[in-house]
Amino acid sequence: MRSTVKVGTSTCGLATGAEATFRALQEAVSETGLAVSTQRTGCLGACHREPLVEIVVDGAHVLYGPVTADRARPLLEGHFTLHGAPPPPEDWVVSRTPDRRDYAFFAPQVKVTTANCGVIDPLSLEDYLAAGGYEGLRRALAMSPEAVVAAVTDGRLRGRGGAGYPTGLKWKICRSQPDPLKYLVCNADEGDPGAFMDRTLIEGDPHRVLEGMIIAAHGIGARWGYAYVRAEYPLAVKHLEAAIAQARDAGYLGTDILGSGLDFDVIVKEGAGAFVCGEETALMHSIEGRRGTPRMRPPYPAASGLWGHPTNINNVESYASVPSIMTGGAEWFSSLGTSESGGTKTFALAGAIQRTGLVEVPIGVSLRQVIFDVGGGIRDGHSFKAVQIGGPSGGCLPECLLDTPVDYGPLRATGAIMGSGGMVVVDDTTCMVDLARYFLSFTQDESCGKCIPCRIGTRKMLGILTKITRGEGDTADLDRLQQVAHTIHTTSLCGLGQTAPNPVLTTLRYFRDEYAAHIHDRHCPAGTCTALR
Amino acid sequence: MVALTIDGRKVEAGAGSTVLDAALAAGIEIPRLCHHPELTAWGGCRLCLVEVEGQQAPVPSCGLAAAAGMVVITHSEQLEAHRREVLDLLLSDHPLNCVICEKAGACDLQRYAYEFGLSESSHEKEIARKLYQDENAFLVRDHQYCILCTRCVRVCEEIVGASAIEVAQRGFEAFVATPFDAPLVETPCTFCGNCVQVCPTAALVPVDRIGKGREWDLTRTRTVCPYCGTGCGIEVATRGGEIVSVSGYGAPANGEFLCTKGRFGLGFVGHPDRLRRPLIRRDLAYSLGLIDTPPPAALGRSPLGRSPAAGETHVEVDWEIALDLVADRLAAVVKESGPDAFAGIGSALCTNEDNYIFQKLVRGVIGTNNVDLCARV
Repeated sequence: MRSTVKVGTSTCGLATGAEATFRALQEAVSETGLAVSTQRTGCLGACHREPLVEIVVDGAHVLYGPVTADRARPLLEGHFTLHGAPPPPEDWVVSRTPDRRDYAFFAPQVKVTTANCGVIDPLSLEDYLAAGGYEGLRRALAMSPEAVVAAVTDGRLRGRGGAGYPTGLKWKICRSQPDPLKYLVCNADEGDPGAFMDRTLIEGDPHRVLEGMIIAAHGIGARWGYAYVRAEYPLAVKHLEAAIAQARDAGYLGTDILGSGLDFDVIVKEGAGAFVCGEETALMHSIEGRRGTPRMRPPYPAASGLWGHPTNINNVESYASVPSIMTGGAEWFSSLGTSESGGTKTFALAGAIQRTGLVEVPIGVSLRQVIFDVGGGIRDGHSFKAVQIGGPSGGCLPECLLDTPVDYGPLRATGAIMGSGGMVVVDDTTCMVDLARYFLSFTQDESCGKCIPCRIGTRKMLGILTKITRGEGDTADLDRLQQVAHTIHTTSLCGLGQTAPNPVLTTLRYFRDEYAAHIHDRHCPAGTCTALR
Repeated sequence: MVALTIDGRKVEAGAGSTVLDAALAAGIEIPRLCHHPELTAWGGCRLCLVEVEGQQAPVPSCGLAAAAGMVVITHSEQLEAHRREVLDLLLSDHPLNCVICEKAGACDLQRYAYEFGLSESSHEKEIARKLYQDENAFLVRDHQYCILCTRCVRVCEEIVGASAIEVAQRGFEAFVATPFDAPLVETPCTFCGNCVQVCPTAALVPVDRIGKGREWDLTRTRTVCPYCGTGCGIEVATRGGEIVSVSGYGAPANGEFLCTKGRFGLGFVGHPDRLRRPLIRRDLAYSLGLIDTPPPAALGRSPLGRSPAAGETHVEVDWEIALDLVADRLAAVVKESGPDAFAGIGSALCTNEDNYIFQKLVRGVIGTNNVDLCARV
């Protein structure tokens, strides 16, 4: 009998006390003398049931949660029926199948990039290899670089950082540059409020991200890679650095990788706390040791990036998709999504819903499916009001747009954006004016100050919104908001400024009546603006 | 050369030109605040945005390479509306003290406010930076007037190579700072003042300029810097014969920029101690019969308890007498002890041409190679 007890100890698990649970389980195992091994894993995504503990006995899986430390001993005794203990209560059980599809949260999901998260030990290269790791790299190295780029193009992978630029095309442009020294950057400066896709991926399966980067290096001809991880993700940094050290020892990084002649290595660079450093040119300035502010494009990084050399920058999730394209094939990958974009997208599902967490769904499913089928709908008997998608750069969409597919083009058409994957659901207790004000206060605070429309314009918009939430607004304020928003959107230097007005513009478009109520009736319909109570 | 169309006109642009360069060369004005022709494009002020055929959003012309066949519009209703809005925002963060401002008349922001007819911002007034720093003898940093164009930061890094300043903090709180907010004297700053020269507003002002007159009161004279042999062209602004400020103007030797001596070191020009005519010692003048009274016997131990003034020890003579005297004495020394008894030291404050003539005099006329220059090190 081979038994394993796995505890999800990613940051999200730790926040709910998974460390104490893990220790309690270890103690209980040694005290009871059970022949089981305890293992740390990443996050399965079901954050609403954490701490999660999975017990695997001879291939039979049972997932429990939440398992707080005090439940550790009864759980073990009950599961293994020691001393005639009763089985664990049924409401502790999340799932009883290896694919966990008997739990509604997992059923509609298709796990590609997060397939190993919460399943393998992220600090174990053996675990990753046993799960088919580095097979994609082997296949890629057997192919010509052009064929690798073509496969990514055929897989219709688009940039998961949010803008959706075709990844294969980006690689091709970078590859075609005559400069022999090329760089690769993995953008893990995830900063949208409520977003934790990149963190979960790196913490739970760091080798997958590395593998994607090495395949990209082969495709592009890059010699050095930087992983730019925000410093607020210490566990992700630790896991990635451990994975890099293991990969070097095993010959997946360094010179003549797997005897293919490919030389490539990765350096981890920690961010210094600026949201704008997620913007690719600011990120490069930060790596170069300069002030993290964006610069004008062109030249695009693919032509002139780090220290003037061609540089390919992709998001964590983009790289994490690449090994699967190599193993599963471009045709399979593209068939997962829509005619516009292939593959899956992870979302950090949060807010007023039953089941929050990290979800991965095929591109093209509707917002309704994500929120109601995966997320289980609104909690506590309240009703759905809006979904905020794409973080502070995104927009707030009302119920009538819930059948919009999660895909780059359709979401853009609504005034929101796909974004990196933040999805915050709000119910009727949230004031949309106040929500817009919150997101604007974020962008205003994170503006680097380089260009005038973003530096001063967001400040002025925030001032007007604050005025309205205090019941001091007038009708002219709405026109003024729209006018300033238009200038900020059109004239700002980088994506931060250009998209900063989106939460305001979409709420003005879909929830104008709430603005009107604040201005004309001096009334906050949701009852959250304290000055109007 | 590439040919493009700007505002319906066929324009030729040199290799590497930006659209802004091409437009300016063709006499087409585009509003701009952060741009400076000698510095790398910054793209922060967003005033130089232009419409380019085939591009959805306006593009900053300062960072846009001119390309063959490009069709550009620099002025449209949309562009003017955006420029006006950006200026409107900027004015909400700028004290409109133009009536007493040192920079009035030479301020780029004032100029555009005038051109767009903006007397005040339509937004709530809020000055982001209120810091006033005048801890050195050369320049004042009055941050309330700063528009964060970063011309100063770029000139310090790209031209001077000192990198004494950089933008600190971010967003609305951003300001141009020294490392750890140290006084400028404790930084690599050389007080060359090029930051002052490129500042489009009154955020950086020379200390000596304050209260010396409005910009339109000043007379500008182009001349050569008297400080060393480089021969930098300087433009000296004066009022009533008094020097108010000095700046570069694009002369062949130095381009736009100056060092601290040329910019801030011309105080000697009007100094009362400055030698304007030849002086010879009183005892010599008496022995030559140029004056009637002998010098006091013990000047070195003057009961005045102070060093004697030049008028007490020397007398002014005309150039002819002075030069004749020097020539006679030199000839006597050479005759008596040979040419190698003489040595000449030139000055780095002289021009190259003057020093050339000087060594020619020493070698050719006096006949010795004993000639050197303090700048030889």
